[in-house]
Amino acid sequence: MAMDLSISRFWRKKVSVYRLYGSRCKACGKVHYPPKKACPYCGSRDLELIELPKRGKLLSYTTIYAVPEGARPKSPVYFGLIDLGITKVVAELTDVADKNSLKEGIEVEAVLRRTREDRDSGLIYYLLKFRPVMVHR
Amino acid sequence: MAVYIEGVGLTKVGRHYSLSIKDLAAQTAFNAIEQVGGPEGIDYLIFSSALAPLQDNQLDIAGYVSSYIGLRGIRALNVEAGEASGLAAIAIAKSLLESHQADKVLVIGAEKLTEYVSSKAYKQLQMLYDSDLRSFYNIGFAGDAALLMRLYMNTYNVDRETLSYWPALMHSNAKENPYAMLRFAIKPDKVSKSQILADPITLLDAYPIGDGAAAVVVSSKDVVKTPLVKVTAIESSTGLGGIELLDDPLIFDSLLSAYRKLSSIADISQIDFMEIHDSFTIVAPIILESIGLAERGKAPELIAEGHFSLNGDKPLINPSGGLKARGHPIGATGVYQVAESALQISGEFPGIKVDNAKRGLVISLNGLGSNSYVALLEGV
Amino acid sequence: MHGPKAGIHGWGAYIPIYRLPLSEIAKVWGWSPEQYESLDVVEKAVASSDEDSVTMAYEAASNAIKRAGIDPKKIGAIFFGTESKPYAVKPSATIIGEALGITPYTMASDMEFACRAGSEGLRSLIGMVDSGLVEFGLAIGSDTAQANPGDVLEFTAASGAAAFVIGPSENASAIVEDSVTFVTDTPDFWRRATQPYPLHGEGFTGEPAYFYHIENAVRALLEKTGLKPGDFDYAIFHQPNGKFPVKVGKGLGFTIDQMKDGLVTPMIGNTYNASALMGLAKVLDKARPGEKILLAPFGSGAGSDAYYIRVTDSIEERKALAPSVGDYLDRKVLIDYGMYSKARSIMHVIK
Ligand SMILES: [Zn+2]
Repeated sequence: MAMDLSISRFWRKKVSVYRLYGSRCKACGKVHYPPKKACPYCGSRDLELIELPKRGKLLSYTTIYAVPEGARPKSPVYFGLIDLGITKVVAELTDVADKNSLKEGIEVEAVLRRTREDRDSGLIYYLLKFRPVMVHR
Repeated sequence: MAVYIEGVGLTKVGRHYSLSIKDLAAQTAFNAIEQVGGPEGIDYLIFSSALAPLQDNQLDIAGYVSSYIGLRGIRALNVEAGEASGLAAIAIAKSLLESHQADKVLVIGAEKLTEYVSSKAYKQLQMLYDSDLRSFYNIGFAGDAALLMRLYMNTYNVDRETLSYWPALMHSNAKENPYAMLRFAIKPDKVSKSQILADPITLLDAYPIGDGAAAVVVSSKDVVKTPLVKVTAIESSTGLGGIELLDDPLIFDSLLSAYRKLSSIADISQIDFMEIHDSFTIVAPIILESIGLAERGKAPELIAEGHFSLNGDKPLINPSGGLKARGHPIGATGVYQVAESALQISGEFPGIKVDNAKRGLVISLNGLGSNSYVALLEGV
Repeated sequence: MHGPKAGIHGWGAYIPIYRLPLSEIAKVWGWSPEQYESLDVVEKAVASSDEDSVTMAYEAASNAIKRAGIDPKKIGAIFFGTESKPYAVKPSATIIGEALGITPYTMASDMEFACRAGSEGLRSLIGMVDSGLVEFGLAIGSDTAQANPGDVLEFTAASGAAAFVIGPSENASAIVEDSVTFVTDTPDFWRRATQPYPLHGEGFTGEPAYFYHIENAVRALLEKTGLKPGDFDYAIFHQPNGKFPVKVGKGLGFTIDQMKDGLVTPMIGNTYNASALMGLAKVLDKARPGEKILLAPFGSGAGSDAYYIRVTDSIEERKALAPSVGDYLDRKVLIDYGMYSKARSIMHVIK
């Protein structure tokens, strides 16, 4: 029996990764994702958990061909640096039908997707990824 | 308080399928030990490896290597700070000497990256970045640097082809270095046309996956007999380490902080050459700009114009060929940088020589700056 | 006698971005165009390799909750109907509930009745809401429908999701005035426990299964409510292809005009548990206050529900709160059989 992916690490982080919960420093106002135990900027431990906006702007992006073990069936993998206004996140991008559609400044929104699967029998990691926003009339 | 490097051992970085991490360590350690006239007096082994538990399935690598190389009984410890492990190991050795916990420390940096296929190495190297989130994704080893590279290009309006002069320069330097993995010249225009790893990073923008080991014997002032060079000062600092956390990702915060600390305790205004941590093409200009050697957004142009090349008007950067072309066996790299710099200053470096080199600066960092180390080496 | 009533507060759908033209499938297996043209389906929606019935359910349910305008914590039951569960054992409903912020004080379960499981959830919630057991409930139908490559089923097996927030009749967008269910043991289509693809009885899926059960459910509803086909503004049936729903509707006395707005399979294929329910979502995107809807989902094995739904004044303010089925239908990228094989893991890749 072989399991590569951690069960408890994912379970512990589920609120953060399913719902984009970050921490906000009550001392300096900075927001961090994923949540920290002390503010990386000012050191204050007076933090609160907040739900981050699920829409943002793409600041940078990449198409990854040199994928790590386990990711071959989903290759290539897209990643972006996303500005959520109150903070920035690095997250996987999805529904990139044409990689030329990735441009700085495009609006992206969070959707729940699979990221990693533990071989054929193990756990499936679900996580928020970002996709170019849907046209909604 | 300065400490002295007496012996140096180096192995060519490459795919050493016939050698284990312990064999590589032994080979380089024996060379370094021979230069100091034998193992007598060596009272501490500081080992530097980041991936030994994963690539070699070995914990306490320092303990096992000690008896493997005939030093049973010695005190031994592995130091791990990701890609900065090697320079961190030298820093630990220095503080052991300064605090009189040891008189002669053998520092071995050794790493295997080729025990498994590359996709496994990519997965392991992904651990250099914050695993709090990255471990749920398949971002691999080059994704973070790729995001940074595009951000740099867009922010400063720097052309991809201008950045390509860096790997070309590193290959041209490495060509002369017998310890380098990639000893062939490339033209800048080849870089963007090579295999894409993580757009815009190509194969020629990334460090090669190779094994290697380097060793130095570091001695206190009291016991040193034949010093090659003195390690005047080492400073380090931690940083945010992720481009999403940095307000200004185009400066490595930890490097800036370590460099400022170093300049407050040592005069680093006149530097003849540097060995810097150019894991990816983009990391080099950001390092040069972080320490003020180039104006922000201008380093690629200065590199392309030859200011950092041999006979340029600025310090020669990476006569070894750097991580890019000498190679980057993760935990061993910092020890390579120090060993090559020691040989450069003592006039014995078998590659590109810097005329009358007296002062060299070594810069090593992990990832995008979770940890940064800066060391000043001077002639004796 | 009238059954219990409940309200549809929010509705939401999801269709993945990729579409596979049926001509691509025909090309691979050597079918002539006539063989798929008779299905009245042009393209089928294909979930990406990072999607499954859970991720699609999440988005459809998130849209439904946005329209309902309620705190997700008020949802006391999540019924997830699918025949493409990512885990054979381990509830998918808890993943959806956790990701949407509904957990922990909620019922949550995965239902199985071939393509009718989502509707079973809907029908159960009507009683649970009416009885006061829960204030709101979430009924979801979602499938990444599987088909043995080369089987005629491959032409239509598609991916999509639809979800509904069910609650009290007050302030609802539409009210489920009445409903009936009709089931028998009729083995027209099944998938054995450890098999990747379902098998079916070919022509046997038609008359003794699809038509027999829908006709009996709808007739029972009409009899129970005293309504006639002409009293409805819309009629929506399970849509295994483009032909069957039209045929069953006509046989029951409904017109194309009543059926056209609820048809989605011709554009995206059969989304199994989301098939008729997405038809309902599409109709709600358009329906006006006071209009009457007949909904008849079907599941193999076999059974059908029939619902009488009446639209209320509250519907208008909720339409724009989430993307419509039309928005998802318009958002599409055509792919070839190779991309489809990769997206649906038909090609074997060593991870
Ligand atoms: Zn703070």
